[in-house]
Amino acid sequence: MFYRDKLSFEDEELKLKVGFLHFSSCSGCQVAFLDMFEEAVEILDTVELVYSNMLTKKRDLPPMDVAFVEGALCIEDPHHLHLIKELQKKAKLIVAVGGCASFGGVRRLSCGNQLPQPQHQSFVPITEIDLVKSKVKYAIPGCPPNPSLLYSFLLALLEVNEEFLLPFELMTFSTKVSGIDIFTEVVNKGFCVGCGTCSTACPTRAITYNYECSKPAFSPGLCVHCGSCLAACPQSFKPYPQPTYT
Amino acid sequence: MVALNSGFLLGKYKEAFVVNGKGENPVKAVFTLMLKFGLIDGLLTASEDGNLPRLILKAEEVEIPVKNSCFGVNSLLKKAVQKYRLSKLAVFGPACTFDGLNKTQYFGIGCNWTKTAVALKVSFLCPGILTGTAFLSEVVDITGKRAEVSRFYFRKGELCYQLRNGEEVTVPPSLHHRYVNSACRYCLNLAGKGTDLTVVYLKEKDRALFIVRSERGLSTLAQVQRSSPSSLQFRKAGREVVDELLSFLKEKVLLNISDIIERVELGLPVPKWNDNKLRKFYRIWNSIDVNFEEEVF
Repeated sequence: MFYRDKLSFEDEELKLKVGFLHFSSCSGCQVAFLDMFEEAVEILDTVELVYSNMLTKKRDLPPMDVAFVEGALCIEDPHHLHLIKELQKKAKLIVAVGGCASFGGVRRLSCGNQLPQPQHQSFVPITEIDLVKSKVKYAIPGCPPNPSLLYSFLLALLEVNEEFLLPFELMTFSTKVSGIDIFTEVVNKGFCVGCGTCSTACPTRAITYNYECSKPAFSPGLCVHCGSCLAACPQSFKPYPQPTYT
Repeated sequence: MVALNSGFLLGKYKEAFVVNGKGENPVKAVFTLMLKFGLIDGLLTASEDGNLPRLILKAEEVEIPVKNSCFGVNSLLKKAVQKYRLSKLAVFGPACTFDGLNKTQYFGIGCNWTKTAVALKVSFLCPGILTGTAFLSEVVDITGKRAEVSRFYFRKGELCYQLRNGEEVTVPPSLHHRYVNSACRYCLNLAGKGTDLTVVYLKEKDRALFIVRSERGLSTLAQVQRSSPSSLQFRKAGREVVDELLSFLKEKVLLNISDIIERVELGLPVPKWNDNKLRKFYRIWNSIDVNFEEEVF
């Protein structure tokens, strides 16, 4: 993995340098990171937080091994345009965190003209921006992603657990996730067992459980395109190996 | 290469017991005792007819599905873990419930901190689940008359239904295969691999076969027995009991494999069967791994 190459650790600094960048979003993904509480302490022993708009005072982006990015890029915002160019130069690996950065999320539903900056109209997830596409290696679904998911992800990243990371790597190729996927790819294809995992994963209750037909029910108007439902569905991918938690 | 041996059909297990519940369904008795003695703080399962998921918090309210129908159990997972803050949850359902649960535990997608919240996973040996109307149609197809199914069980390796009028009906696997939920026709984990305990219902209402897969399953059953020695009787199951089950599983899995091959011919995605590459997001959908998870989270 290139973030473990010689360059990363040449100055006797064995800690992984990570940063949290904020584009257009509610900051919920960064708050989810903070919700790891005591588990975060274990990880902070092995990583160094070099940049965060919420937790550090730095104004300029320092070089970093892994940049966790939340939010979609607003192409009318000069600050965002500057930040994405800086990100391309300073980060070795980018992780899109949450629905907005990964798939557009709730920003896809934005129709612009939002006060107090009415010129902000267009929002693009970072997985669709060619400038940084080659560096966006992982996309984490959720609105926001669970702290336990972020914790497991960070551990897997530090341990280079490729089996765990593989699904998140493949999610970077997707741009149009929504609850409809549960129907087109699972229910319509005859894979739905009616277990209800998708409805428990949905953060907005766009997917509920229909007890009459024992299948999920979808309300498109409530969907924020976060990708949680399909990612959680046991029929979408199940390459989980067998660790034992005691 | 898939070999339809015991390891593939039934999975690894530590011990198999025939359990007598002294006039009560032994699985229900186990959960009731566990709730009563504080070994678990909640039970996530479905109603007796399997149509409604249930989160049970009190010993006197325990009910478990007795028909091969069990839907939506995981839809209450978030309520159990995040609303009620349950940390010693037991889950009872078919194997597919645990596919969802194991995935949630491993990746953390869906429900926060689930991996430390589940104390015991118990599945029942699932011949394929049916909806209420499918049960009615299947019984009409077999007996020629309308009757309601009250419970299902295995007798000498055969799937049987007990009807409300007390009549017993033997269900041929080939016919049963036509009435099960679509996804059950492609399932290769009927025996609930990846759980602590698999329960096989037997003809007598107060008896069941417990296939214990994990150390946690064994120690939990030992604790239950210590807490209330007279409630349950455990007897090691003979090899012939397991062999009878294997013959049923083999017949059903062969039917399922045949359906999976049909999907391949149609060019439809198949569940974990071959190395087909689908588009983008779903590229690993089809990466079959027949080595089902044997360890328990």
